[in-house]
Amino acid sequence: MQEWMTSMKARFFLNLVKDNRWKYLADGLVVTLKVTFFAVLLGILIGMVVASIRATRDKTKETMRPGIGKAILAFLDWLCRAYLTVIRGTPVVVQLMISYYLIFASSNNKVLIAILSFGINSGAYVAEIMRSGIMSIDEGQTEAGRSLGLNYVQTMVFIVLPQAFKNILPALANEFIVLLKETSVSGYVALQDLTKGGDIIRGRTYDAFFPLLAVAAIYLVLVMFFSWLVSLLERRLRKSER
Amino acid sequence: MKDNVIIETKDLCKYYLGGKLKALDGVNATIDKGEVVVVIGPSGSGKSTFLRSLNMLEIPTKGAIYYNGNQVNSKKTNINLHRQKMGMVFQHFNLFPHMTILRNMTIGPMKLLKKSKAEAEAKAMELLERVGLADRANAYPSQLSGGQKQRVAIVRALCMEPEVMLFDEPTSALDPEMVGEVLDVMKTLAKEGMTMVCVTHEMGFAKEVADRIIFMADGQIVEEGTPEKMFEAPENPRTKQFLQCIL
Repeated sequence: MQEWMTSMKARFFLNLVKDNRWKYLADGLVVTLKVTFFAVLLGILIGMVVASIRATRDKTKETMRPGIGKAILAFLDWLCRAYLTVIRGTPVVVQLMISYYLIFASSNNKVLIAILSFGINSGAYVAEIMRSGIMSIDEGQTEAGRSLGLNYVQTMVFIVLPQAFKNILPALANEFIVLLKETSVSGYVALQDLTKGGDIIRGRTYDAFFPLLAVAAIYLVLVMFFSWLVSLLERRLRKSER
Repeated sequence: MKDNVIIETKDLCKYYLGGKLKALDGVNATIDKGEVVVVIGPSGSGKSTFLRSLNMLEIPTKGAIYYNGNQVNSKKTNINLHRQKMGMVFQHFNLFPHMTILRNMTIGPMKLLKKSKAEAEAKAMELLERVGLADRANAYPSQLSGGQKQRVAIVRALCMEPEVMLFDEPTSALDPEMVGEVLDVMKTLAKEGMTMVCVTHEMGFAKEVADRIIFMADGQIVEEGTPEKMFEAPENPRTKQFLQCIL
């Protein structure tokens, strides 16, 4: 037992302390957080635009007067559906590599490329989550808003979206947790994120135990912290219910 | 057109499924200022569709709706402005569950009539006072009973200071003991001279308050007249049959 403890201490020292190896993890963590944060923002932005177009089309297909506006909306809707099909139909690693090796082959800003890839990927999922939220709100709410004289956009912003947001919060949180962990494939384009940092240490020390467990523990703590934040928000939003 | 006519429909039709289902099939109706009109009829007769088309929640397939002589279902009409003049009360209340009662009532006036918060709240409180719910101003809709919700829905519509009130089966989703409190509010409103169009199954209310009763069946107006005439001496066999079933 004594012996085992001594050997573990030595391995811990070798993997995380010696030559400041913990810095691979710290630097990697910063990259992971940066990529996740901006990808989430981009994903929400894309998701909002795509969900608005798709939901508006769904809701007004029957009632909108034919004309140029309706034609534009139909085209945008088609474009959104094409985007959803392609993004959801291919693995995120492949999308990341296509971005890095093909689309942005001339650039070497790996963080930016990762943000764009993961953001565009996440946007597709966020869009469908948001659309499901909008469609989950009873048509009577829209009718009540419109019957007061509010226009379509005002009804959406003041009446439908606040209620939809509350309903989709768990699904949205889920998507962001997935995204945080999905960025661990950034190593495929040699971006040194948290996972890659652990991998580099393993390559130096030929010891997989501490680097991998440390990486796993950091992801776990991040996700637990984030889940806690979301639960606070949920409790706040649930105020209007009994 | 007579001066006191506020709403007129001409050959109003609403078709679904490419014409296979005719919810409205040529409805010609007029509603005078200050008149209380009750629309009755069997389920599926088109009475709700008729009511909802008056503020364009249903867009007519053909025909015309005139409001103060201006055609409503025309491209030139600002439909949002038109709806501001028509308050609507729904069967299922449709209060906004994420807002307090007070906010439910002030959002319209603040966003549309450009009233200040204080102004809108003063008006809302005055109306809540009248329906005996001033103490619930800061409650959320989920904390109210059905009857209370419907009373709030009525005063929410009144906050926009409408010229006409539309009621779409306002008591059909209520427990029986709560029907009275909602009908009382509607009666008061009628006495104050509000123009009202009500779709309802409350025949007692119709007898007592209505100036005119419209009986609809199969998307058409079958018969109309004063409550006395309609209840005592209906002419059309369809009307007779319907009234026999429900009275």
